[in-house]
Amino acid sequence: MKNRVKVDQLALIYLLIITGGKFTSLPSLLAGDLGHDSWVSMCFSFLWDGVCLCFLLWAIKLNSKANLDISAILNRSVSKVVSKIVLAIFFVIFVLRTNILLTNCYQMFSVTFDVSTNWLVFILPIALLSFFAIQRGFNAIARASQLLFGIIFIALVALMVSPLMEADLAALAPVGEAGWGKILANSYTRSFWFSDYIFIYFVLDGVKVKKHVFTPILVSFGIGAALTVLINAVFVALFGSFAPDFSMAMSKIGVFSVANTTNGRWDWLTLAIWLLSVFIKMIVFIFCAYKCVEKILEKNFAKVNLFVALFITATLMLPMFVSTETLLSTFIVWALIPFTIVQYLLPLFMPLLTKVALKKTEVKHE
Amino acid sequence: MKDSNFSKLQSLYSGQNDFRLREVTCGIPLKVVCLDSMCDDAKVSNFVLQPLTYVQDAKGLDDVQKRLTVGSGVRKPPNFYSIIEDFTNGYTLIFDDKDGCLSVDTRTAIGRSIAEPPTSMVMRGPREGFVEDMKVNLTLLRKRLKTPNLKTINLTVGKYTNTAVAVCYVEGIAEQSVVDTVVQRLQAVNIDGVLDSSYLARYLDVNKTALFRRVGTTEKPDIVVGKMLEGRIAVVVDGSPMVLTVPYLFVEDMQSPGDYYENSAMTTLSRVLRFISVIASVLLPALYVCLQVYNYQIIPLRFLITILNASEAIPFSPLTEMILVLIIFDILREANLRMPSAVGISLSLVGAIVLGDAAVQAGLLGAPAVMIGALSGIGLYTLPDNTLILSLLRLIVTLLGGLMGLLGVLISTLVLVIYLASLQDYKTPFLAPFAPDIPADRQDAVSQKPVPSMKKRPRSIPNVNDERRG
Repeated sequence: MKNRVKVDQLALIYLLIITGGKFTSLPSLLAGDLGHDSWVSMCFSFLWDGVCLCFLLWAIKLNSKANLDISAILNRSVSKVVSKIVLAIFFVIFVLRTNILLTNCYQMFSVTFDVSTNWLVFILPIALLSFFAIQRGFNAIARASQLLFGIIFIALVALMVSPLMEADLAALAPVGEAGWGKILANSYTRSFWFSDYIFIYFVLDGVKVKKHVFTPILVSFGIGAALTVLINAVFVALFGSFAPDFSMAMSKIGVFSVANTTNGRWDWLTLAIWLLSVFIKMIVFIFCAYKCVEKILEKNFAKVNLFVALFITATLMLPMFVSTETLLSTFIVWALIPFTIVQYLLPLFMPLLTKVALKKTEVKHE
Repeated sequence: MKDSNFSKLQSLYSGQNDFRLREVTCGIPLKVVCLDSMCDDAKVSNFVLQPLTYVQDAKGLDDVQKRLTVGSGVRKPPNFYSIIEDFTNGYTLIFDDKDGCLSVDTRTAIGRSIAEPPTSMVMRGPREGFVEDMKVNLTLLRKRLKTPNLKTINLTVGKYTNTAVAVCYVEGIAEQSVVDTVVQRLQAVNIDGVLDSSYLARYLDVNKTALFRRVGTTEKPDIVVGKMLEGRIAVVVDGSPMVLTVPYLFVEDMQSPGDYYENSAMTTLSRVLRFISVIASVLLPALYVCLQVYNYQIIPLRFLITILNASEAIPFSPLTEMILVLIIFDILREANLRMPSAVGISLSLVGAIVLGDAAVQAGLLGAPAVMIGALSGIGLYTLPDNTLILSLLRLIVTLLGGLMGLLGVLISTLVLVIYLASLQDYKTPFLAPFAPDIPADRQDAVSQKPVPSMKKRPRSIPNVNDERRG
């Protein structure tokens, strides 16, 4: 089965997904709202993320023998209609998040790497890469992540070393100055960035569970969350009140290294390596969006379906017509509740839904 | 004897000068036929004709088989197809008047003698190499694997060539399902002729569009035995000195025959160098172009000044310049391969001095580009079996890097990694033990543990007994 994935592979891909993408525009957005308390807001978001993840892992454990997919679980435990609505919401989330990642990448390439190109020319290779990966299977994506993990992680650590030494972490005090209510509210409205575990819904049927499910994935989550909070804190500590003006956090935090100017901007090279994790994140999200369409249509295409691929590519062209900021703010106003339900409430009920679905499956077999 | 096996055979070979027929009487009338070009005259005389002409009391073909044929390989071919197969392989056939047939092994032993294979020379370790004769090759394997567990399954492949193929494995180590798969794939081969084992390699690889070779080839019996002891299956093809092994891992490309006879620390160092050189060979030209065109800030200032000074007067863009260098290098390599060795050396000199130096002197190509191209080209040879495909990939990555900058390099790297990670055959992932990560198998991947410490067989290769001892 080409979408089969081991728990340790899932843990590594999850870690890459957490750390890939949250260091682009999110730190400056949070800093704009909360100043130096932005990292606290991140902590709250990750806390709720961790709770949801535990419930989802519980569902994986329950599902380990039957290997039902998300669609089968929802179909059997709730109804087909609800299942399709949930999948449709997921599709919108994945498409939107991919669009945000693409926009951030596009900006990073044009601002940092000085490569300004047409949006279409920019997204087409990435879309092709994603559909190629879908064709080869999630297993190949997981293995590729496993292979690249070491170098990406070294690049990430190398990126952080110099700014970490320069940053004055005392600038983060006093904690909670923005007001706890505001911090919590921000965690909720910015939660859009955090639910990275949602991709696990779409590999539920492929997870090869052996002994431990919780430990490797929770360790990955812990490391990913700690790194994200740390980089955010370093960013805010480095730039202080100017932080909201630096939209591309990751490419800016290296400027404090004086040696860079004479020895070459090696941090850009490490930044480019780190970008591999952003690409992997985009591939995974496009894979999930593709799976959503497959499950809504109740089809299981042997090869990548051209029409579905074209449809998803078309949705990636949205930023050509509407800015991502407008898209995001519109969705946060109009769709925050459905997004919250599928991202942050559904996981809490997943063990229960899985149990019901499994029971119905047993009855069917009898 | 109309329509008898003998008359059918005779009609098939009528008019052929090397078709020899001798009628003898040893109590019963017999017809002895052989293909002169395929048989050893001495064997035909000593093992067949001499005993048959000296006695006159033979009672039938069974008696001839038991008493009057001296050769060790005597059998009764079950059908006409087997008769033809034996006949064309150099067996002498004995027909009686009831259309019974015996075949006696009188094959000629003409062939190359065992020598050190030119493709895998070693400083230390055995120097014997396979030859074109399958029997000799099987002897070389048996000589090293003196166990009844070494099993061979004999097949014949090729409609016209009837090439003998032996599937060899160690029972009790190799997984039977993998052996069955190999045999099934070979039995399914429908082809006019098999002229070399590389013909069959294409059939053993389930994904025929695969860019990378996924069937191992070697000319050294010690390497084949080493692989069989890890659970792999060897395919010996008559007429080919290259023995195939499956399953095959990418990491095997990085392993050299001499690795197992050297100090393990030195082997590790060599392998690290091979890995670095292969990665650098594919990525270095692309990085050079994209850094020069788009992100020159990454290059240290002094280095950048040197590059700019050297490439200032070049009439081509960095991308065109690098593509030209790479293509010239590939042309030289291709020409060098096809030239006799003496001319090859002159060609290398002409390539290096005239093309390289003169192009730089004339200001057509920059010295840094030539240096990067040459470095990348030499690096490719650390993976001799995949040089061509890596050379092609290098061109594609360079082109994308030149057109799209770092984005192109990143995307092409990801495509390549995902493609390689997706390859799997004979229950073995191509990129094992890296992706999927199999910690136990790292003992002989980039680093190599000393032989006494390698107590387990690799898990990435299906086997039924993972203990290397007992």
